Amino acid sequence: MWQQIEESLRDSMGRVFTKIATLLPGILAFVLVLLIFILIAWLAAMLTRAILNAVKFDERTSSGTNTLTEWAPRHAPTLLVTRIVFWAFVVIGVLVGVSAFEAGSAEQGISAYVFSYVPRVIGAVILLFVGTIIGRFLSRSVLISAVNLNLQYARLLATGVRWLVFVLTAAMVLDHLAIGGEIVDLAFGILFGGIVLALALAVGLGSRDLVSRSLEREANRPVEAHAEEKLHHF
Amino acid sequence: MPNSELVDERVTEEQHTGPVDLLIGIAGAVRAEELQAHVSKLQGLAQAHIAVAYPGSGKPESVPAADAGFRLVPYSVAAADPASLPWVVSAAAQRAICTLAAELDAKACVVVHGDLIAFDTAHIQSLSHAVAEKGCDLILPVYPSRKYEALLNHGILAPLTRALYGQRVRYPLPPDFGCSPQMFRKLSTARDLGDGGLLWPSVQAAASNYQVCQVNLDVHHATQTEGLELSAVLASLAGSAFAEMDAMAAYWQRVRSSHATATFGSTAAQVGDGEPADTKPLIDSFLLGSRNLQEIWGLVLPPVTLLELKRLTRVSPEAFRMPDSLWVRIIYDFALAYRLRKMNRGHLMGALTPLYLGWVASYMQEVAALSPIAAEQRFEQLARAYEEEKPYLVSRWRWPDRFNP
Repeated sequence: MWQQIEESLRDSMGRVFTKIATLLPGILAFVLVLLIFILIAWLAAMLTRAILNAVKFDERTSSGTNTLTEWAPRHAPTLLVTRIVFWAFVVIGVLVGVSAFEAGSAEQGISAYVFSYVPRVIGAVILLFVGTIIGRFLSRSVLISAVNLNLQYARLLATGVRWLVFVLTAAMVLDHLAIGGEIVDLAFGILFGGIVLALALAVGLGSRDLVSRSLEREANRPVEAHAEEKLHHF
Repeated sequence: MPNSELVDERVTEEQHTGPVDLLIGIAGAVRAEELQAHVSKLQGLAQAHIAVAYPGSGKPESVPAADAGFRLVPYSVAAADPASLPWVVSAAAQRAICTLAAELDAKACVVVHGDLIAFDTAHIQSLSHAVAEKGCDLILPVYPSRKYEALLNHGILAPLTRALYGQRVRYPLPPDFGCSPQMFRKLSTARDLGDGGLLWPSVQAAASNYQVCQVNLDVHHATQTEGLELSAVLASLAGSAFAEMDAMAAYWQRVRSSHATATFGSTAAQVGDGEPADTKPLIDSFLLGSRNLQEIWGLVLPPVTLLELKRLTRVSPEAFRMPDSLWVRIIYDFALAYRLRKMNRGHLMGALTPLYLGWVASYMQEVAALSPIAAEQRFEQLARAYEEEKPYLVSRWRWPDRFNP
């Protein structure tokens, strides 16, 4: 019996080593292709940056109204385009690497599965990018408007808006990637509904005094306006 | 195509009545009865051929036109967005009037505000006289001074214009002004910079090296502030000044100092300002902005300025004073951020509002005990600070990344 166990283990080990031996060329091919494409991506990014700097891309894009820099001000357009070029090459490298892996090993159907998933990933990345920008833009709009309206809870309001957009974006991204299935929809529904319900209860019950004081302040504003009449900004 | 789309009837009328000595343009909507009542006041004007331009496409009935020695000429401007601020609408009308004056080949042009307060013989003569007698190309008004009025003009627009373009004018964005043929031709072709671009006659005159004069006008235009938000007004007026600054950068960087502007007419009697308004709400707005907008201010202002603003938040309301140099640098940094589009321009101008209110509070506390004349001198001091800090602006404008104190 002991001999049978030994044989069985030996067979299993043999199969594992055989599997590794058959996968190794594919893995090597994948890593090699990826490294080559990272190098190409780096060169392409450098070239793109040089060309965009030569044509003064930043200045040209900033001359129009409602430019990209106004929405995503932390990065110059040149940097943004350079990064897009770099990561596009890296993604292509991964795809080519998967094909090389499939060709170099006995495994079949991997590239077909990965390629069918790529559009979803691209869509999810775009959703994440747009959602992040919209979240930041709306948050800043709310913050500035609330400060200029003299609302003491301006930051809270802005943070709330930002996270609402981020949560919505995250749910959309997960849904687009088909991760989590109905759990995401359900969780998002509960979370969003919970937030709205909590706000309604807070305003209706917990903060009614605060709301009534706030409304009273608004109602008494004409009295303050008397002092403001002495000031004319324009 | 010219801005002013005139009806054919006007051309025919012009052929009948000959050249125009003076075109008086009304920059704003006016009712026919009002126009009739005011036109009748112009009987005493000495010019032989006077035309009055009013917004519209037809001739109002029962107006004494040719019989009284002058005629009425309609002009039309593109339909304004209902949400447009009054001075944006007014600027479009001023442009159309200048275009009309150029088309009529007038010898002089006077533009008056749509409220018609300046539409009488004395005021129009004051504005037109300097063109004919003194050889001025642009005549800007100097209105009676009040301590707590036109703060946006006195705190930003006038001193900024003075420092940048070298013209010491009191109201660079006037509702009333007079101009010579070369000036109105220049204004008729002035670029509309978009974003509710306003018309800056003084800037255009300075850039063309035209003669600018001022005349004291005892006129008080009522400000239509109802329903307007300060941040929107600040965005429109200061934003337009910044846009003009960007467009004229090649010119103003060469201007080293300002020069006095000839002023005619007797100074109007000073008007009492009464008790000063409470500055606490203004300081509270500044403090609220300081607590919440640090991240946004940090994108615009250099560390030294942020530190000084931080210090200001710690002083007691009675001791709240914003130094002129600090205020001027803030304006210059916002102008630079406007040019570089460091963030959405609406956000940028919104973030300036609490700082402006802080300056207003500081100014009010300083001049509370001063006479209107002493308050005038305070504005002069601020204007000098704008000039003294101009090298800072030029350095940051040229090397925004390298020069960041």
